[in-house]
Amino acid sequence: MSSRPAWLDPRPYAALAGSAGTREVTAALTAAQPTITDFAALLSPAAASHLEAMAQRARELTRGHFGNTIQLYAPLYLSNYCTGGCSYCGFSSDRHQPRHKLTVEQLATEMKALRAMHIEEILLLTGERTPEADFDYLNRCVADAAAVFPKVTVEAFGMRVEEYSALEASGCTGITLYQETYDPTVYEQCHRWGEKRDFAFRIAAPDRAFESGLRSVGIGALLGLADPVSECLALYQHVRHLQRRHWKGGITVSFPRLRPEAGGFRSPHPVDEPFLARIIFAFRICFADVPLVLSTRESAGFRDGMAGIGINKMSVASRTTVGGYEAGEAADKGQFEIDDNRDVTTFCSMLRAHHLEPVFKNWDAVFR
Amino acid sequence: MSETLKLGDLEFTSRLLVGTGKFADQATMLAAVEASGAQIVTVALRRFNAAEAMDDLLGPLMQIEGVTLMPNTSGARTAREAVNAAMLARELSGSALIKVEIHPNPHHLMPDPIETYEAAKLLAAEGFVVMPYMPADPVLAKRLEDVGCASVMPLGSAIGSGQGMSTRDLVALIVRDSTIPVIVDAGLRAPSEAAAAMEMGCDAVLVNSAIANAGDPAAMGRAFAQSVATGWAAREAGLMARTDRAAASSPLTSFLSDSA
Repeated sequence: MSSRPAWLDPRPYAALAGSAGTREVTAALTAAQPTITDFAALLSPAAASHLEAMAQRARELTRGHFGNTIQLYAPLYLSNYCTGGCSYCGFSSDRHQPRHKLTVEQLATEMKALRAMHIEEILLLTGERTPEADFDYLNRCVADAAAVFPKVTVEAFGMRVEEYSALEASGCTGITLYQETYDPTVYEQCHRWGEKRDFAFRIAAPDRAFESGLRSVGIGALLGLADPVSECLALYQHVRHLQRRHWKGGITVSFPRLRPEAGGFRSPHPVDEPFLARIIFAFRICFADVPLVLSTRESAGFRDGMAGIGINKMSVASRTTVGGYEAGEAADKGQFEIDDNRDVTTFCSMLRAHHLEPVFKNWDAVFR
Repeated sequence: MSETLKLGDLEFTSRLLVGTGKFADQATMLAAVEASGAQIVTVALRRFNAAEAMDDLLGPLMQIEGVTLMPNTSGARTAREAVNAAMLARELSGSALIKVEIHPNPHHLMPDPIETYEAAKLLAAEGFVVMPYMPADPVLAKRLEDVGCASVMPLGSAIGSGQGMSTRDLVALIVRDSTIPVIVDAGLRAPSEAAAAMEMGCDAVLVNSAIANAGDPAAMGRAFAQSVATGWAAREAGLMARTDRAAASSPLTSFLSDSA
């Protein structure tokens, strides 16, 4: 079993998350510089009855730091080839679904479709490293995308420093790489084969990305795989570790929840919407200046409610199929099911009705 | 006639500069800018989007009469990136004013004194009217003045924090010895804090979050304009000296001058 670094161990704080009372929760809500002790209190059962107060505090902090705006981005799936054995994922190599990758021409078509939707920031995705969609393929796609979009980020496989440096040189601004679960035992059970089985290699990938000069790393736990309180405590420690080690590093945190996918994986630790909301509020209260991201995995109603109340960055009009915007044969089933299917115009109307400005361009190619 | 704010060869009657981020929509932002009477408006190069009118901040600001744009380099981590951003911003906006904003840490957004100094030196040599956002450091302020900056812009407190003039004593030292305008940038929450900054000798203030996050941004823009004008008027009028003891209006020694 891969070992978990000591700084990541949530167990010293898990008891607090179980035993905190109203006094601790109230203290956490008013702390000037909240600590992991406060964070644990906000995840405790006692905090459930303080959900509204947490939302109010989260809203105040989000608006204070990020203003009345929501940054938008869209994912672009390059390939669904995968050598990985993630038991929860629709791309896993034992799932029977058509596999393909975008050609250079198809990528151009997809990008054109996204530009027509006013998208300025894209997240390029692949499965685990395969001969069909290897590093060179990904790197080439990054260079093509960087010629079209001011901001390009990548969510693919864990890489070496030299590979991250090469992506940076091609115009990549940052990566997203979820640890999926911070519990080493569950990690080993879920990741049945492939390079991704190496917990230690993956947990250090964000450090390598920052060492390479990339500006931002998005991290997260796939909520539902293991005890969510422990996962969040570890995620908190992961953020703090990266903040201490990489002072120029931009860290974003996402809150992916297990969704129904092609293989029919069922979540052993389901997280319901009120608890997901509370997790997001707790992160906002403790990390006032860290961008918090919510994808279209979640329902329209939940996304509408969370916009500007903790969350300050959202994907929009996403397709999780390869070629899903324009180029695709659309024969594959996607990585997971999208819940919020609204188009850009509809989504932006909702944001404006909530007095939030959708921000498409918040970066410039001049900073590469 | 009140003295104007001089920045390089440019002169302004308003001493309130405003930012354009964080607003709930473009119309609210434009209304607040107009209500504030600001003649210098800063906008991040990364928010220029000429291709998409609804997402662009530069285009609509260029339409407001009497407004000089001051692009900023927010997003830059190094002097080199800031210089590149400044060059592009000048080309796109036509403005020689540049707010050098280099905060390598994207979370607390504190300005990097070393990179800011390097960028300011290069940009001043390139003919920009250089306005550096800086830590409230009196030594750095003089170093920036020496390399040809048009002003110094020390922070009152962290961007968007609303903590007011937590750097008051340091800004007072900067003000005491500066020969170029001192503009407090970042952290102000209430118009009274802006007035206080003016009264203590600052030449202008830059406000963004306090207006954008107000219940009524246009009204808050107006309130800041009034209080900046009031603070400046008070300074021009000459504030009485502060003393730690009472000063009698009928002095005990009057008999000495009476007998003279």
